[in-house]
Amino acid sequence: MSRKAQFGAGARAAPTSTMSAINTDDMCPVCKTIRYLNKDMEFLINPECYHSMCTNCVNRLFNDGPNQCPYAECHKTLRRKGFRSAFFGDLTVEREVDIRRRVAAVFNQAEDDFETLKDFNNYLQMVEDLTFELVSGPPDKRREAEAHLQQWEAEHKADIERNRKAGREADEQSRRRLAAEREAARQRRMDAIKEAEEEKLDRVRSREAEIDNLAGGGSSGRGVQLKRRGNRAAAAAAAPAPALEPAPAVGSGSNSTADTGGVDVGRLSIRGLKEKRKPGAGPEAAGPYDPFGGQDFVPSRYKLHEGLRHPYVDKYSLDRAHIAGGYSFEEYTTRAMFEAFAGLGVFVEDEKEVGIGLSAGQVATISAGIAAVGDKMELD
Amino acid sequence: MATEDVRYRESSQFRLWSFSHSQLAAMRENTNAKAVASISERLSSLGATVPPSSIPMDISAPTSTANTPDPEGGGGTPRLPEFLSPADEATMVTFYTAELMRAGAHAEFSDEIIATAATLFRRFYVTNSIMTYPPQEMLVVALFFGCKAEGAFPRITDFLKTFGRERPEEILAGEFLLFRGIRFSIDVKHPFRALRGAVMELRSLGDIEETRIEAAERRAKDILRFSPLITDAYFHYTPSQIMMAALSLADRSLAERLIQATFHHVNVPEISGTNSGADTPNPTTTNTKETNKSEDNKAFIIGSYVRDKVLGTIESCRDMLSKELPERKEHWANRAVYKAQVVPLKKKLNKCHDPDRWNLVELQKVRREQALSSTKKLDGSEDESAALKDDGAVFGSEAKRRKVSGNKKLEDPFGGPL
Repeated sequence: MSRKAQFGAGARAAPTSTMSAINTDDMCPVCKTIRYLNKDMEFLINPECYHSMCTNCVNRLFNDGPNQCPYAECHKTLRRKGFRSAFFGDLTVEREVDIRRRVAAVFNQAEDDFETLKDFNNYLQMVEDLTFELVSGPPDKRREAEAHLQQWEAEHKADIERNRKAGREADEQSRRRLAAEREAARQRRMDAIKEAEEEKLDRVRSREAEIDNLAGGGSSGRGVQLKRRGNRAAAAAAAPAPALEPAPAVGSGSNSTADTGGVDVGRLSIRGLKEKRKPGAGPEAAGPYDPFGGQDFVPSRYKLHEGLRHPYVDKYSLDRAHIAGGYSFEEYTTRAMFEAFAGLGVFVEDEKEVGIGLSAGQVATISAGIAAVGDKMELD
Repeated sequence: MATEDVRYRESSQFRLWSFSHSQLAAMRENTNAKAVASISERLSSLGATVPPSSIPMDISAPTSTANTPDPEGGGGTPRLPEFLSPADEATMVTFYTAELMRAGAHAEFSDEIIATAATLFRRFYVTNSIMTYPPQEMLVVALFFGCKAEGAFPRITDFLKTFGRERPEEILAGEFLLFRGIRFSIDVKHPFRALRGAVMELRSLGDIEETRIEAAERRAKDILRFSPLITDAYFHYTPSQIMMAALSLADRSLAERLIQATFHHVNVPEISGTNSGADTPNPTTTNTKETNKSEDNKAFIIGSYVRDKVLGTIESCRDMLSKELPERKEHWANRAVYKAQVVPLKKKLNKCHDPDRWNLVELQKVRREQALSSTKKLDGSEDESAALKDDGAVFGSEAKRRKVSGNKKLEDPFGGPL
């Protein structure tokens, strides 16, 4: 028994729930078409009665002119033109928004139109009451409010029109202001980007200039470096006389360096960083780096000329394997001549004794150092 | 100063491996003394601690036990063998250099390779005693290293086959040892190409017969291939001087002609003062006084003073080379000479060589193990043989000493104990 009752209750409950579920937005209440059959079914409403129905129904019913709402108990006459899709899912909200929009269009006084704030507030209160009655009042009240509204609209048509125009102007103004603000912001952003780019370019340019200066000459390079180190260092370098005073005060340990170097250099050496600048400032180190360590490659004992030939070398000048590889016979001649005369005036006996080049003792210490290192290396 | 000389002075051959006669002699004596001291210390410690029958070093050096007059008989203080004198060592090095050249010729290496190997070999035994490291092994190592130094890269397997060795370690073990011994200066400057240059210059003079030049070059090349390598010429003279000396041995007047042509400059005051135009075949100088400074400079580079000095140097080099002319190539291979001069020294060497360093493969193994154990902080000698234990003790103490006083090591002219 109980089981049957339960089943019966379940059977009864199920269709209603499914019906309601379908009713909400998957089935047209007019033609009962469900979304399953028509995938792009769309519901439209008419602000007259806010009854929703599918597009097919609207077309079918109202294509031939005004017709009665197909809902039962609704006797509104609807036109095709009035149908639109609802913005809000809840149609009561849709209706309230519509009403409020309509009321606001009629009662469109601004605060400036009133003598006092109290008057304005009273006005707002009156409008709100009217709106409330229109939205959710009982039918008689609603009708009354509707009548009020229409009467007011008719009486104050000119005012309303003027206010609307003013409002539109105000809107336009604010819109323009907003646009202007946005434009200004955009401009500011562009400026910032441009500035950053310029700064970057400037940095590169100044660095190039600095490198050029360093390559060109010591004194200008020094100037650039000083500028980069900041005003304090520049001031210290510009006025060496007062800079001299703090040097002994900083520490007695720095005195020796102050004595060996110049006054300026000694003062700067305390900071450790400035010592590096000294060779850069010197005229002898200012030139470009010489990979050959100042060696001269012009021979001084012999002359390289065309007549330097050797049968063994000439033999190869016909050998394709040598020519194809780009072998330079002049290079061989140069090297052979160099080796023939290099060291001819180096007298090992004398030079090693009196010590041109490395003396034996130095060699010994160097080799011992190497040997020590070598031991370690071998262990690795 | 002549630019060529400046450039030559930059070379490692001049900076590290050129010595005056007295310096070289002192270094060799020093090396010998140090080797004697360290070997006698090691031998006595071996005799005191380990019974000689269990020393594997004796097995690796076969004649050692047979000829030693009973080091264990003395109990605490075994009698030390007779060590090689510096002169003996020099003889041995010369003999083994000849052996090296013979081996190089047998393997058909180029002149440069053989010359480089021989030079490296001789350099190695300036700072290392022949009693410390086995010359017969180092000779092959030097040849292998010389090949690589001259840009020829033989396969180690081919190399082994050529020299009848079995394991590549036998050669590779000594490689770094040699490298360290030559103070990491691989480049050796040879006079071979210089001879070509000299011949070019001679031919360009134009008034010398072709055949004469060719004959002189052939002879000079023969001399260069042998004489400077077996003597100390590479230590005392520059390649161009050696070349000139060889040329002068081949054809004296040709060499002198070349020198005269090179150092042709005549001092301006000399010309104006005394009549010395006789010894200047090409007086190219002008009498203008305004170029005085460059004249002085020239006089220093190609003047008569330098010429005389160069001639003197070449003469002394020539004397040195003339003692070992190519005709003596077979001298050391001669059985009688070998028996008379080399065999006694070899016998001596068998008794007095360094017990720890003689076997290069063992030495490298021990060093590696020592390095491993020192990094792992493991003793690990329990399962090792007694010899390794003993070696570990020796090397361990050495490593300790090195760690404790690094500057003491720097005082030694050529590194730690041999």
